[in-house]
Amino acid sequence: MKTAKKRLGRALVGLGFCLSAAFLTVRLPPLHGQESVAPPSKVERKNKAPVSRDILRVKLPRPIESRLKNGLTVLILEDKRAPYVTLQLYIGGAGALFEPNNMPGLAHATAAMLSEGTQSRTSVQIAEEIDRLGAGLSAGSSFGSPDTVLSASGLSDNFDDWFGVFVDVLLHPSFPAGELEKLKQRQRAQLREQRSSPGFLTSERFNRAVYGDHPAAHVAATLESIDKLNREALSQWHRARYAPGNAILGIAGDVHAKQLIVNLERRLAGWKQMDVKQTWPRNPAPAKARRVVLVNRPNSVQTTLALGNIAIDRHSPDYMAMVLMNHVIGGGASSRLFLNLREEKGYTYGVYSNFSALRYPGPWRAGGSMRTEVTDGALTEFFNEVRRIRDEKVTSEELEASKRAIIASFALSLEQPARMLGFAITSKQYGLPADYWDLYPAKIAALTAGDVQRVARKYLNPDALQLVAVGDASKIKPALEKYGSVEIFDTNGAPLAAAETP
Amino acid sequence: MSMRSKFPTAWHAALIAVWIGSEWVILPFAIDAAQSKSPPRAVQPARAEPLAQPAQSDPYDIASKQFTLNNGLRVVVAEDHRAPTFSICITYNVGSRDEKPGRTGFAHLFEHMLFQGSENVGKGEHFILVQNNGGSANGTTNSDRTNYFETLPANQLELGIFLEADRMRAPSITQANFDNQRLTVQEERRQSYDNRPYGKTYEAVIGLAYDSFPYKHSTIGSMADLNAASVHDAKEFFRTYYAPNNAVLTLVGDFETDAALNLIRKYFEPIPAQTPPTPPDMTEPDQQGERRKVIEDGFAKTPRLDIVYKIPPGNTPDWYALDIISSVLANGVSSRLYQKFVKEKEIALSVYADASEQRGPALFWYSLMARPNTDLGELEKLLYEEIARLQNEPIAEWEFKKVQMQLRRQRAQRLYSSRSRANSLGHFAVYYNDPELINSIWRKYESVTRADIQKVARAYFKDTQRTVVTTLPKSAAGDER
Repeated sequence: MKTAKKRLGRALVGLGFCLSAAFLTVRLPPLHGQESVAPPSKVERKNKAPVSRDILRVKLPRPIESRLKNGLTVLILEDKRAPYVTLQLYIGGAGALFEPNNMPGLAHATAAMLSEGTQSRTSVQIAEEIDRLGAGLSAGSSFGSPDTVLSASGLSDNFDDWFGVFVDVLLHPSFPAGELEKLKQRQRAQLREQRSSPGFLTSERFNRAVYGDHPAAHVAATLESIDKLNREALSQWHRARYAPGNAILGIAGDVHAKQLIVNLERRLAGWKQMDVKQTWPRNPAPAKARRVVLVNRPNSVQTTLALGNIAIDRHSPDYMAMVLMNHVIGGGASSRLFLNLREEKGYTYGVYSNFSALRYPGPWRAGGSMRTEVTDGALTEFFNEVRRIRDEKVTSEELEASKRAIIASFALSLEQPARMLGFAITSKQYGLPADYWDLYPAKIAALTAGDVQRVARKYLNPDALQLVAVGDASKIKPALEKYGSVEIFDTNGAPLAAAETP
Repeated sequence: MSMRSKFPTAWHAALIAVWIGSEWVILPFAIDAAQSKSPPRAVQPARAEPLAQPAQSDPYDIASKQFTLNNGLRVVVAEDHRAPTFSICITYNVGSRDEKPGRTGFAHLFEHMLFQGSENVGKGEHFILVQNNGGSANGTTNSDRTNYFETLPANQLELGIFLEADRMRAPSITQANFDNQRLTVQEERRQSYDNRPYGKTYEAVIGLAYDSFPYKHSTIGSMADLNAASVHDAKEFFRTYYAPNNAVLTLVGDFETDAALNLIRKYFEPIPAQTPPTPPDMTEPDQQGERRKVIEDGFAKTPRLDIVYKIPPGNTPDWYALDIISSVLANGVSSRLYQKFVKEKEIALSVYADASEQRGPALFWYSLMARPNTDLGELEKLLYEEIARLQNEPIAEWEFKKVQMQLRRQRAQRLYSSRSRANSLGHFAVYYNDPELINSIWRKYESVTRADIQKVARAYFKDTQRTVVTTLPKSAAGDER
């Protein structure tokens, strides 16, 4: 156990920017139109708790890296704390991002079919073998992702057995026609079922609004694209796009790295090198004008809101500043949105923001669900918070507290080998410098209030936000009309003509 | 540990959290069991002494030490230097089963109040202090207990202990904050139940299956009861249930036990003990026949069939056998119900089977999401055929071994998360008065035989013990395809 401690590079250091005692009291903007229900319940910092001023700074362990003869990049993080192994295989160029525009869902269906039959195993045999071994196996490609991702995990003492199944489904899928028909039937039923979820309906319209024609606009397959799926299309996708040279295999847990690399060279020898041309779609551009979209979900008792716009990609020089700015405004239960809309106003169970930054720019997005009656007030507060982070510099106390939160949270990731490996995989995927995560805390620490304000002004333009609301249109349409002309859709995704709108 | 997450939606809302953020993960455990006892230990001499030193038999056992403070607070400490972090969890022996008629949802509403500040912590400051120091925190309530927990970097040990002690000692329960959290909890109810498909089903099932009040109502409670709750109720509830002698503190992670104990004693020992609360009456009359109900759901797109049977509390030999059954039926792609209903017959979109783990009379819960055009009568009949198969023949040897392997996997996984271990220790201590169950539970599963499985299937899956709730899409919603 002592060795584990040492290996994790534990060190207590006082950072130069550590806080003086205080966190500031957040000043809230004046309420627009006094809410009759708003109780005088105020967030308060007493600053009496015993806090260690130090930040437990941790050095993330670096995995052993190698490249197999077929071009596959392998990252191995030895971690003997539990008799367990997790692995993730990211196959670049095989993701939904590269699907033909009329075939959304092709990449995911291909991945899902890997475990439905191989040249030597039936669907049931694969399922039984994985479950008998106490292992887990999954594969998929999310919409907008350049990768297909295969994940597997299980006990270390039968790793060779479940890894064998993993290799088999990766290299020798047979895409049996009968199983494909069954998959298509399941997907059709899911397509219908997910339209009952306000979260799905919100994402469907939000992604369409921010991404436009970009493939990441899709959040689901369509009945038409499911109909088009066939053995040939799937096996072609697999044959032409699962290229080891574009892939990263990350393995974390109770393994012996050197032996494993030799083992991998042998077991993955059948995965032949090939060239895949990756034609990246044109980058999505931020919308220049505000757009207001309403999905009419009759009898909803809440409105589910999303608002945002395209911001940055992973290589943007503004990345760190966006991490910090997002943390301040919507990064959790101590963020401005949460404290304002929940803790002060009681509008919601929770509101948050996040942003997506991949190889292409993705949106910053804020949102949450609130009872129908306060839709108007909630929108006011979302826009107030957006304006406030643009118009006013964060105080030094709030700035330092947020930096500290981001830096100090690295310690918690040391509990989970899969999370530590995740950092390394990210570095590799985006070609980040080897010392990227070592320098990350210092880079966060160097940010200023001016940086936060600068990226807020650059990426959070209230006049260009794409605003999506899912709720009972007969009750919330007037509130939305304050922000622009409202486009209305039904829950099946069809636009409603003005005459049909409630 | 019991197996969870076989069902893709959050309808199984027995456990609800104070907030759901990006960091919050619902832990894949569930344990609950019998005795409403777990009496506070007799007051110990001032000096805290270890009560038990468990024998180390397995390298993956979790070594813990138990203490009881002067005021009756039970403390379980598991020092472990695998990562430079620790988790603290306080599990209070109070859940929605302790509520009074007319005050459903109160235990959970009160849980929210403990994030509204205390003598030395301002409203909202709890999350601010935890997150700004790199940690994560939450609180959850279910029918049988309420817990609060933080995971923090190792150098913030005193902060974690202080935060839990300050709110156990002197929470600030004000009218303004109470009104604010009432609104928040009502939004939680809307988000998790009233605005989602099948949101009414859970309450319909427990309302029909149970006769006695403690488990007949949901933990989230009714809107009317939430509206009726008062600050006076909150103060009374705090005095009755939030005493140190009605709680267990568990601490797992990177610290020195002696130093941690000194801090625990410093902050918790001044909190006075209270008269122990009266345990609720958990007796449930025998069910005399099948119960059925059909409900309509304006948001659902496809019918769902929920069938429950009454089963014994957790940590009983029969419960372990029933939990293994749930795994054979619905855990993993190779499970019986998934293969039969989703793959072979293609009449269900998803299947779920679970032996709920409770301290009192529990339910074995089947839930089948139908495909479009599925004949619900046929679906139900096929499920009974599967149940009859369990009763008429032993499960296959490979199925039996599979479950043991899946348990081994869970056991290995749990070694990573200090929070998972802290919460489990608290759970076992409050439910069964036995934190050591964190290690011995695996042997309890291992001692189940295939004959036991057949026996419990016969004993509990009886027609007369059954409650059937069918949820149908309400076509009047107007947006059906």
